[in-house]
Amino acid sequence: MFCWRHCRPWLRLLLILPFLAVGMSRLAHAQAQRFELDLTNPNFQRIAIAIPDFKRQSSEQTQLAREMGETLAGDLDFSGIFRPLDPKGFLEDPQTMGLNAPEIKFPDWRRLGADYMVRGNYLVQGGTVKIEARLFDVAAGRPVIAKSYEGDVRGWRAMIHRFADEILYALTGERGVFDTKIAYVQSMGKNKEIFISDFDGSNPVQASRDNSLCLSPAWNPQMSQIAYVSYRDGNAKIYLLNLQDGSSRMLCGYPGMNISPAWRPGRPELAVTLTRDGNPDIFLVSASSGQILQKLVQGRSINVSPDWSPDGRSLAFVSDESGNPQVYAIDVGSGQKRRLTFSGTYNTSPSWSPKGDLIAYSGTVGGRHHIFIMKTDGSGNRQLTDGDGDDVSPTWSPDGRMIAFSSTRQGGSAIWVSSVNGIGVRRLTRQGGGQELPDWSPRMSGR
Amino acid sequence: MRLSCGSLCRILLILVLIGGMAACQKKPASSGGAMGGEGAAMGGGFGSGDMGGLNQAKYRELGLNTPEEIREFENRRAAFENQDIYYDYDSYVLTEPAKRILDEKISFLKRYARVRVTVEGHCDERGTTEYNLALGERRANSALQYIRNSGLSIQNLTSVSYGKERPAAMGHDEASWAKNRRAHFVLNF
Repeated sequence: MFCWRHCRPWLRLLLILPFLAVGMSRLAHAQAQRFELDLTNPNFQRIAIAIPDFKRQSSEQTQLAREMGETLAGDLDFSGIFRPLDPKGFLEDPQTMGLNAPEIKFPDWRRLGADYMVRGNYLVQGGTVKIEARLFDVAAGRPVIAKSYEGDVRGWRAMIHRFADEILYALTGERGVFDTKIAYVQSMGKNKEIFISDFDGSNPVQASRDNSLCLSPAWNPQMSQIAYVSYRDGNAKIYLLNLQDGSSRMLCGYPGMNISPAWRPGRPELAVTLTRDGNPDIFLVSASSGQILQKLVQGRSINVSPDWSPDGRSLAFVSDESGNPQVYAIDVGSGQKRRLTFSGTYNTSPSWSPKGDLIAYSGTVGGRHHIFIMKTDGSGNRQLTDGDGDDVSPTWSPDGRMIAFSSTRQGGSAIWVSSVNGIGVRRLTRQGGGQELPDWSPRMSGR
Repeated sequence: MRLSCGSLCRILLILVLIGGMAACQKKPASSGGAMGGEGAAMGGGFGSGDMGGLNQAKYRELGLNTPEEIREFENRRAAFENQDIYYDYDSYVLTEPAKRILDEKISFLKRYARVRVTVEGHCDERGTTEYNLALGERRANSALQYIRNSGLSIQNLTSVSYGKERPAAMGHDEASWAKNRRAHFVLNF
């Protein structure tokens, strides 16, 4: 059983859920059932939303008033659905203006161009924080949702992310990704270690401490473990990092290389590449013991980078059996294999979309690596990224709306994100040393 | 205990040599990234370059007893460890120049059969991490197989792939990439 007191401080922050989400009251829930925004409308305009500083209810942690508002605005801006208004134009002092509908001057907010408006307040007392926040429909002058959160003050950011998620859900019927995380590889001198950041690249935390070369992080579906490759025992072996106590243990240490871990959805198994038989083949192994259950892909070619379909029945992977690396898919039950990419001579790192309908991968055009998206039968191929630098290692957000990848377009490797329609490309990580091999987590709340 | 003049001189010479090596001792050439100018730094001679001196017990284990034998070993060891073999893009096929270098390594291994060798496979920075790990292992294994095919029975011959993770040259052009598509040889003691 997990013991909080023995948990490393960084992990306590990471694990969070140190808060209780208390639905204050599901106001106007009848209205919330019909979702107010149609994202499929081609003339969709971003929704203007006003987020004044949160109101302080004590004299502790006064800076959070602004940080909470900015974090919420950043989340909603990131979604590509909202356009947060610049607080400089707001008329009232956020520390004196009221919190409830009758006290809010909706005509003023309407004149500023706001469609929606968030009013929040927080109370910090002895290391805990209580946050209350409401979303108002400005034109109707009525509240849409109201939520409160309570917990360790160091977890305030996760509470704000959760509220951003509630706003998105109330207005679109789709969950956001604001409580998700991205694991990636951070260069540290000669070594590389696994790091975890929030979905937007903020809050980077070092997760592995192997003082070695660590690669290929992969979240388990429960978001409690990360499988990764490390050279800490000499050769490339696969380890499991337990996010509850920070410990890590070897999962696969077969002779030769042990690389490319990929968790199978719905079953406690991973697909991995092992060279124990002399060739890089893909195996199914037990997630608890690392024991080999089945050889999935074999041959005389290089077979690496497996990625499961969401139903856990098919596997996309890279093989060079044609003479250069191409993306293939195999039906694990029947063993039927088909080649998916035919254009170009270097197509790698397939990533199956959460809805199961698309596969993102890294291909080459003009000598540069870029991210492509295709249907799972290889048709409908389209290029997502372009420009200078190499874009590799795509990973989908759990809502399927965004793809993170690593790119050298601004020099050193960093994690970037693009919406699936190719707009809103932005850089997520800005630390020195270089970041690569991102893996986007599932949703923490498992929704 | 009486020492003959000859054996005294021999011991003194060994001590001086070891001292000299300790003075300019760096980390032995290994998987580290700082292997700039490999191939150029060959045959630097005893006590030069990236050589760590071994203690006498180790030399004896390798069957090296006289200062002459040790000097010859250290000379050839520098060449063995500093000279890499190179590959074409996305290929693990041994080129003719690579085979000639491997022949020299085989000759070294025939002479010093008790050494332990790790063959490291490396790739250039282009492409993806995992495919390059597999390609690097193929490169290391192609060299390993060539050595084994010579009939040499070396027990302690292992391989490791670093993919594109440990480049020798840091540039982003073909000149650097060509230096990074390599197999590198490390002696373990």
